Amino acid sequence: MFPWVHEFRWEIGHLIFTGGFALVLVAILTAITLVFKKVYQIYKRRQVEKILWQATFEDFPSQTRTCRHAISGVLKQRVCNNHFECGACAVHKQLIEHGIPEKVLAAAGDYGNMEIFGLNIPLDRMYHRGHTWVKQDDEGNYLVGLDDFGKRLIGKPEEVVLPEIGSRLYANGTAWKVKRGKADTRILSPVDGEVLETGDDEKGWYLKIKPAADNSDTSHLLKSGKEVKAWFMKELERLQFALASDGIGVSLADGGVLIDDLPKSHPDADWDGVYGEMFLEP
Amino acid sequence: MDKQLIVRGVTRMEFKRFITYLIPWFILLGIGLYAMYLVFRYGLNHTNMDNRFAFGLWIYFDLAIIALGAGAFFTGLLLYVFKRHEFKSVINSAVVIGFICYSGAIAALVVDVGQPLRAWFTLYRPNAHSMLAEVTFCLTLYLFVLAVEYVPIVLKNRKLKQIPSFLVFEFKLHTFMPILAGIGALLSFFHQGSLGGMFGVLNGQPFAFRETVFVFPSTFFLFVLSAIAAGPSFVLLTTWIVSKISGKRVVTKNVFMSLGKISGILLIVYVLFKSIDSLIWLNKTSPAVGFSAADHYGFAPFGIWILSVEIIVLGLIPGLILISKKLRAKTPWLLTGAVLACAGVALNRFVTTIQTLSLPTLPFADFLTYVPTWEEVAIFLMVIAYGVIVYSFSFRYLPLFPQERELNRR
Amino acid sequence: MDTRNKIKSDNRKHPRYGMVVDLDRCKGCGSCSIACAVENNQQPATPDMNNRTGVTWMRLYKVHNGEPFPDSRAVFVPMFCQQCDDTPCLYVCPQNAVELDPMTGIVAQIPERCFGCRYCMAACPYEARYFNWWDPVWPEGMEKTLNPDVSPRMRGVVEKCNFCHGRWQKARAKAAAEGRRELREDEYVPACVESCPMGALTFGNLDDPDSKVSKLVKDPDTFKILGQFGTKPKVYYRTTRSWVRRAVNRDVYSEKKEKVHG
Ligand code: SF4
Ligand code: SF4
Repeated sequence: MFPWVHEFRWEIGHLIFTGGFALVLVAILTAITLVFKKVYQIYKRRQVEKILWQATFEDFPSQTRTCRHAISGVLKQRVCNNHFECGACAVHKQLIEHGIPEKVLAAAGDYGNMEIFGLNIPLDRMYHRGHTWVKQDDEGNYLVGLDDFGKRLIGKPEEVVLPEIGSRLYANGTAWKVKRGKADTRILSPVDGEVLETGDDEKGWYLKIKPAADNSDTSHLLKSGKEVKAWFMKELERLQFALASDGIGVSLADGGVLIDDLPKSHPDADWDGVYGEMFLEP
Repeated sequence: MDKQLIVRGVTRMEFKRFITYLIPWFILLGIGLYAMYLVFRYGLNHTNMDNRFAFGLWIYFDLAIIALGAGAFFTGLLLYVFKRHEFKSVINSAVVIGFICYSGAIAALVVDVGQPLRAWFTLYRPNAHSMLAEVTFCLTLYLFVLAVEYVPIVLKNRKLKQIPSFLVFEFKLHTFMPILAGIGALLSFFHQGSLGGMFGVLNGQPFAFRETVFVFPSTFFLFVLSAIAAGPSFVLLTTWIVSKISGKRVVTKNVFMSLGKISGILLIVYVLFKSIDSLIWLNKTSPAVGFSAADHYGFAPFGIWILSVEIIVLGLIPGLILISKKLRAKTPWLLTGAVLACAGVALNRFVTTIQTLSLPTLPFADFLTYVPTWEEVAIFLMVIAYGVIVYSFSFRYLPLFPQERELNRR
Repeated sequence: MDTRNKIKSDNRKHPRYGMVVDLDRCKGCGSCSIACAVENNQQPATPDMNNRTGVTWMRLYKVHNGEPFPDSRAVFVPMFCQQCDDTPCLYVCPQNAVELDPMTGIVAQIPERCFGCRYCMAACPYEARYFNWWDPVWPEGMEKTLNPDVSPRMRGVVEKCNFCHGRWQKARAKAAAEGRRELREDEYVPACVESCPMGALTFGNLDDPDSKVSKLVKDPDTFKILGQFGTKPKVYYRTTRSWVRRAVNRDVYSEKKEKVHG
């Protein structure tokens, strides 16, 4: 096979044979080397959290990936293929430029107050699809907390692991981790920034974040009341769906109000699976 | 701990039950390993092969599982190169099956050869004219490709993917899948073909020898065709068996039907070429060296029926079942078609290996029969047990069927 | 290839050794088989072996004419590697463990390279190849009979007749010492030929028109077994009895095609 091997012959057949296989081997090895190189670059450019999110996103069923504009009814149907990074989405950009969402939503009439099954959804803040909210305080820092839906899903967590003060968070990267019973999940960070302070349930927020200098994009967050409401409706539907996998008929609401601590009232359900669905960690 | 490893949102049987169900397979594995020890320690006299019946059960088994394992590369080719996205739901499972088939075949080969430690010599200084050298090269490289394709699936395990670098690596590796699928297809084409060519070139075995079509004997192309025809059927069958055993729906019906359809179309094409090939061989190639059909099919139990069964019962009929939209839509028919298609390729490999060696070439030599020893059977079963075990663990802990979670909601 | 290149550069004509087996003379005594086994250090048979698993480079087949008693006849056919010029076993071996020696035309088996895949055994139409199914064992005392010029083979590799290649090397070394490059006809003869009490085996250079073999080969009663496969064997068989010819060879078609001589 090799010219230095005893009895090697420069014959066409031999050359095609060994050359062909050498090429294939080189191709495979090159591919693998390139993968390692790319991984190295990702680490160097601190894109790990971003890539992790993208990798996770690939595994979502199409239901979970529904575009926000399809949820709000602006578009008939659309499955997001931009990892929910609306800032990078051509369709989103076009819709916003022409002000289409506002027009459609305005035409849809009034939604009334923002009470959905008793959920408390203040509109002075922006919502992330992983069930966190972001609110800018007077100093221009972000307060980040769990929305009411997320709170009721988790109920009283046994463990909350908050990031260290000073650590850097990335939008769609892990912000903090919670554990409830046999289930655990990570909560996605809605924005880029540096952790200034950590809070808790009492304070109503979990993190105070100093916005990152290089990325203050919030276009991926839900702001308009109608959009937010439509999204919460969709999330309730998804929750019903996720819980139904066990075949247990679960009633989520008690007198028209979503139960406060869902795991507590339905201890038999597969909360681990549900958390995976609802907090976007399949 | 066990629960932590299982894919989020799907249910698997209790760990204890899982292990209990695997015990018989572990026993088979153990017996096989003991037989393997006997063969390695004392030599191949523990088999019933002999100087004329130089290939036996193992070679037959290798050829058969490699043909059935073709589903891995073919599904990959359809998904990544021809962009048939419906196969995304079975590709992981197909890759695992392919990996099992190929690694199992190589394990059987290692026992089968007399001095396995010298096998590297083929890679270092091959005889480029030998079909077996080509097979060795392609198999080695393709097993490597399959391993590389398996890695991302393993890294998607719930615990493993929490290690950020693993998931990042998996994600990037995944972007190279079309290239790997293309390479896999190329390698598979050549080794499936060369396995057929191995027998087609034997001008000393008129039963196996075939005319040359573009450098290779016709069996080269027939083996490729029959492998890609049976491969999807095998993926279909295994998927169906998995869903029966686990009591879950793992893919949607249309995936089954697409697999069946592809199998059916290719099977019809295969049957056509196989018939033409058989006619040419029986009327031209073989008589030219003094062997008539009676010389090949005159010995019981290998009468001419075996050829008709291969072409009609296990070729044409499953082909027709699977291309008929009406029949394919009915699960029993679909399964019948797939089973017959897989049996057809298995019979073809049997005829190619065992019948070839049974028939005498010297006018005064006898027709031979061969019955494998328990060691041969044990190693054969060991490879199957190995496959069941690897697949069971993969199914339990790895996301083999992305549709499973959604499909099992009521 | 070093030897081959050297051969290309000198245009000496090398012998092409071959053999003619006279079936009318062979009485089936088996001397050739024994001489062969002893000469070539073939592993001795043990009770575990049968006629299909032992190593017998030179093997005798007893072929009957198929008639009932008074007309019943039998012939013995010594069968061994036919030294095919168009060598199927060489063509298939992935490890280059089979070579056609351009110096002699002998198909050489190189057991050190063989990894025992047995593909060559499937390729050989003459069933002339033998696999070492067992570790060779020479019973106490018998190892003294080992031929020092031939290395014994280990378990797991294939071997076959090589026209006593060891003898050729020895003869060549002797000739070289005497300053000759060519061997005389009687200087190199395989053990079987030497041992046959009936003189049924004739060995020599097929390319030398004056040699005994090449004259015998021209005889119309001489034929190749399975010559129609195109493997160009260098071992010929000869008989004047037509039933033997029919029982031993399948020449229905080849008679028409190649007239079997040659
Ligand atoms: S007779 Fe058999 S072993 Fe000898 S050269 Fe021919 S094919 Fe090879
Ligand atoms: S058994 Fe040995 S000589 Fe025969 S083909 Fe295999 S490696 Fe070559």
